[in-house]
Amino acid sequence: MKMMKDEKELTMGAELFRVKEPKAQSRKAMFSKVNASLVIVLAVMVVFPFFWMVRSSFMSNLEIHQYPPLFLPKNWRFDNYSYTLTVFPFGRYFLNTLTIAIPSMFGVLLTSSLAAYTFARLEFPGKKFWFTLVIGSMLMPGAVFIIPIFMAWSSVGLSNSYIPLIVPAFLGGGGLNIFLIRQFMMTIPREMDEAAYIDGATHLDILFRLLLPMIKPVLITVGLLTFILYWNDLMGPLIYISRNERNTISQALANFRSGFGTDWRAIMVASTMSILPSVFIYFIGQKYFVEGIVLTGLK
Amino acid sequence: MKLRTRGRTTLTAYLLLTPAIIGFLFLTFLPILGVIGISLTNWTGLQPPDYIGLENYRAIFTTDFYFKNSVVATLSFAVGTTLTSIIYSFTVALMLNQKKIPGRGLWRSLFFLPYVVPIIGSSIVWSWMYESNFGVFNYLLSMLGGNKIQWLQDERFAMPSIILMMTWMSGNLIVIFLAGLQSVPRTYLEAVEVDGGNFWHKFRHITFPMMSPVIFYNFLTSIIINLQGFVPAYALTKGGPSDSTLLMVYLIYREGFMRNNFGHASALSLLFFLFVAVLTVLVFTTSKRWTFYEGE
Repeated sequence: MKMMKDEKELTMGAELFRVKEPKAQSRKAMFSKVNASLVIVLAVMVVFPFFWMVRSSFMSNLEIHQYPPLFLPKNWRFDNYSYTLTVFPFGRYFLNTLTIAIPSMFGVLLTSSLAAYTFARLEFPGKKFWFTLVIGSMLMPGAVFIIPIFMAWSSVGLSNSYIPLIVPAFLGGGGLNIFLIRQFMMTIPREMDEAAYIDGATHLDILFRLLLPMIKPVLITVGLLTFILYWNDLMGPLIYISRNERNTISQALANFRSGFGTDWRAIMVASTMSILPSVFIYFIGQKYFVEGIVLTGLK
Repeated sequence: MKLRTRGRTTLTAYLLLTPAIIGFLFLTFLPILGVIGISLTNWTGLQPPDYIGLENYRAIFTTDFYFKNSVVATLSFAVGTTLTSIIYSFTVALMLNQKKIPGRGLWRSLFFLPYVVPIIGSSIVWSWMYESNFGVFNYLLSMLGGNKIQWLQDERFAMPSIILMMTWMSGNLIVIFLAGLQSVPRTYLEAVEVDGGNFWHKFRHITFPMMSPVIFYNFLTSIIINLQGFVPAYALTKGGPSDSTLLMVYLIYREGFMRNNFGHASALSLLFFLFVAVLTVLVFTTSKRWTFYEGE
């Protein structure tokens, strides 16, 4: 309400301004136009690499190696895709990646909700200690632990499987996720769960039936960001998966690039196919992505 | 009665925290001990390790020239990427935040897109654009009358080339800054306008001071994240030419998993861990002092 009043006053102010200074106003219009055109030019530059990838995926190797570069293929070679699929079994890599990303997303959502609930709602000795430790330890650079963790998995014979990639998702779910979910839970009045508690609900009832349904948007955000993180991960699969038919998309693409180093049309087809699922998920869940990113950057 | 419910709450709390506590023990605490332990050996994974004391550390600081090159490369990558990303993202966010930008949401999604796709996919197309004989960058350069450059094979250009790609990927910062800019109260900006102030005055006296905590916070978190860069070195340059892009995490990966020098790689890991950990603790313990939000 207050906001609307302010806006009204503002426009009135601007009108006064316009009457007084017509020159300044036209300079401002000019400024807006230049600014808008610059935004478009920049956006075209940002999209260019994607355009270049897709355009190359429809060319012959000869056309790709033409100089000066062709802007668009002369003949659109749609059969590049069916050819590439015979040497780059995308469907299999897609399923492999899903096999890792879906359980991981589920694990992160489950265990970070459990931890978030504990830190948001329960009072117990050692709370501050564990909160600092759990949140703080997950800020640590994960890459430095890869060797001992690899050794540990290797000593139980699981270093060549998906287990080492999925299990960590079930062990806490990441400090940032716990923190985000906890923040949202704390916005829900405690009286609500106290009432449920008196009615005989358990902590799990309160968490799963009362609180989590109320903070669905942040769960979707955490879920999507986690999914994309696991979907795009390269280092984990490089360490733990060796057989080609078990590769994830990113890993298969990296290997394909080094193995088929000169067949650029196939590499471009493989790259195009590999980025498509992420692009698709992003455009579907855009709202949640944007919110999640804003939360991580403004907290 | 009261005591019993308290005891039960404590039990419930620890049950619910069990996954996180196990995670802390097995994914952070024990691995740190493991890294320390392995770093004191010459383990290659093939035969039982010998205890060699601080030999790995001595080697790192004296004979191992990879380490020094990697420190330089990692720091220039992190600082360079962070600086250019912040400048680029903040500029774009400012531009998107002007009035009369039609379809702001659409532009924002386009700028954000490079952040979401697998970085290996982007690296591949960028490596083709950087290709010295057929790539678009050299084509543009030749149109401007310049000579062809070996973007990724020349040690003067490899790091800037990678940084440019990383900057392109920093659309997440645009989204963050844009959200921050939209929370700058309009009344303040209009007040400057009414007093006859122009864009620069508004920026200098309102927008920038109000945004500086957000910028600073994202500057520091970006540095911490970029210190851990891996894929650009792995996919574009293999750490070369002449180690100019030998990022630390790539070096650890290479020593550990491609050359099986687990002892040496663990010593590198521990040094890197200490460096990043100290920086992180510093950032997050001091963050209360410099993050300010209206209404808090």
